[in-house]
Amino acid sequence: MSRTRDLLTVAWTGLTSRKVRTLLIMLGPIVGVAAMVGAVGLTESAKGDLKQKLSELGTNLVIANAGGTFGSQDPTFPEDAVQRAQALSSVTDASATTNLSEVIAVPTQGGDDYYQSFPVPVRASDVRLPQVLEVPMLDGRWLSSSDTKLQIQSAVLGAGIAKQYGFLPGENRTVRLNNINFGVVGVLGPVALDPDLDNAVFITQWAAKHYFSTDGKPNQLYVRSQPSKTQATADAIPTAINLGGPDEVSTKVPSDVLQAASQADKTLQQTALFAGLLALAVGGLGIANVMSISVIQRSSEIGIRRAVGHSRSKIGLQFLLESLFVGILGGILGAALGIGIVYLVSSFADWVVVIAYQKIPIWMALALGVSVVAGLYPSVKAARLEPLETLRLG
Amino acid sequence: MNVPDGRPALLELDNVSRVYGEEIEVYALRDVSLQIYAGDFMSIVGPSGSGKSTMLGLLGVLDLPTRGEIRIAGQNVGALDDASRSRLRGNSIGFVFQQFHLIPHLTALGNVETALLYRDLRPRERKERAFAALEQLGLGPRADHRPVQMSGGEQQRVALARAIVTDPLMILADEPTGALDSANAAHVLEIFKGLESPERAVVMVTHDLTVANTARRKVSMRDGQIVSDERVASVPS
Repeated sequence: MSRTRDLLTVAWTGLTSRKVRTLLIMLGPIVGVAAMVGAVGLTESAKGDLKQKLSELGTNLVIANAGGTFGSQDPTFPEDAVQRAQALSSVTDASATTNLSEVIAVPTQGGDDYYQSFPVPVRASDVRLPQVLEVPMLDGRWLSSSDTKLQIQSAVLGAGIAKQYGFLPGENRTVRLNNINFGVVGVLGPVALDPDLDNAVFITQWAAKHYFSTDGKPNQLYVRSQPSKTQATADAIPTAINLGGPDEVSTKVPSDVLQAASQADKTLQQTALFAGLLALAVGGLGIANVMSISVIQRSSEIGIRRAVGHSRSKIGLQFLLESLFVGILGGILGAALGIGIVYLVSSFADWVVVIAYQKIPIWMALALGVSVVAGLYPSVKAARLEPLETLRLG
Repeated sequence: MNVPDGRPALLELDNVSRVYGEEIEVYALRDVSLQIYAGDFMSIVGPSGSGKSTMLGLLGVLDLPTRGEIRIAGQNVGALDDASRSRLRGNSIGFVFQQFHLIPHLTALGNVETALLYRDLRPRERKERAFAALEQLGLGPRADHRPVQMSGGEQQRVALARAIVTDPLMILADEPTGALDSANAAHVLEIFKGLESPERAVVMVTHDLTVANTARRKVSMRDGQIVSDERVASVPS
């Protein structure tokens, strides 16, 4: 144990007593690791806002749409589709909406012609939709069971349509749905995972049945699954709802699109990573070169150490440990430099900083490996040096 | 092998030859036999090319003979691997070189400590022993100085401290006063005389007759062979 400590001390002293040379040797691993940390960090940070959005929205939402067969115009799910979906063990929450394509929404006086030409989608919804979508209300409240119980003609606007209508927070406003007035009770926040909902007007299923004679059967299902089972849930939903064939249900995981968009430019990242590897390899050659010269410069020291009883293996290990320290220190400094660069550039470019911390130990280990391999030849050379040749006796 | 007064041989060269070159053989040493005993204070003298340096390398176990056998305390060094031979060298021999050969980036204390590495000593104990050796040679106050901050005489005393710190069987000096002015040379020579002990041998390889004449035993070499091995009853003070 104390011999190992002696060896570490000798190697460390050998490095620290020649600081400039040591710093020059360390430039290889520093630049290599910094380039790799920086390359991945910068390309990931450039997409960091999308990644952040994804982590906020979650990637476990499944949207199911009823598909039509034989040209039916308004395909629907069974009325108990939500319960059927919730029967799946991987489903944590579910909500449904019904498109009311026959209903014309007119938000302002005298706009009938315009809104007949450009209809605003109206949807009947249950009370759980905002919770399932994990979207807060921008204003007011969502539809409630009291609306059904008390038979209130309440409506909620999507964020986009509220903006289009010029709806002011807290304003008393009515929208006419097929000439029936509904009071606006709230505005739903933007739904990034299904932007169609931003331009819709929502009413209760009761109101849809009562005023527009719908059958209460939904045609969109919003399902939250356990995070690790999103795709499996999406695959299972058609069978669970069982419309007589899975073909009549189409499912999608909307976060997949965002996820794809949030992926960093792989080609650019790989090019930069390759540059980092190249820097590391060149750095390795630099280490081998400088260490080899160092062995010649320090031949007298090697001769002295041999004369006082240090064996060839101790001399070799001493130089190898110096390379090891160069790799460790270079890796640490390189990682710190790379992280610093990512923070600096991100602060100027207003990016969300993303650092691949889990990959840093791999790159540091790579730098260490390159340093040790580069140090092998000089170490063997040092160990083989004949003390008689270096001490110039007589 | 014993000398008449019964002292044991510390180091023996038994018909040792050292040959360089393969196609054309050049004998640096030819069939040399020599015994060095505990208590010997000896010099090896000879002109350039007489084989002194080769002899020094072999006595210091820095080199191996082409033929013949070298034994330290009865152990054949040729039969040992590098690690055992290095350990034997570290434990048995203390070197002093003409050019001092101190490690420039280490302090005087660090240089002396070098000889105590890899001996399972705690750093504190190692420092204490190294400092004691420096103090013995009057260099305690210079322990934290680097070689470049010291005079030639002081550097040679640091080298001496490094040689004696392991309490070796033999101190092997190569022209120990060769790079010193006369005052420092005389001082260093006095120190060498003080190192004389019944338990160890002091061997000085030199071409300087002043140095050679301080020894009680004088081995002369010529053309790779020992031409005389004289013991003197008294040496000039």
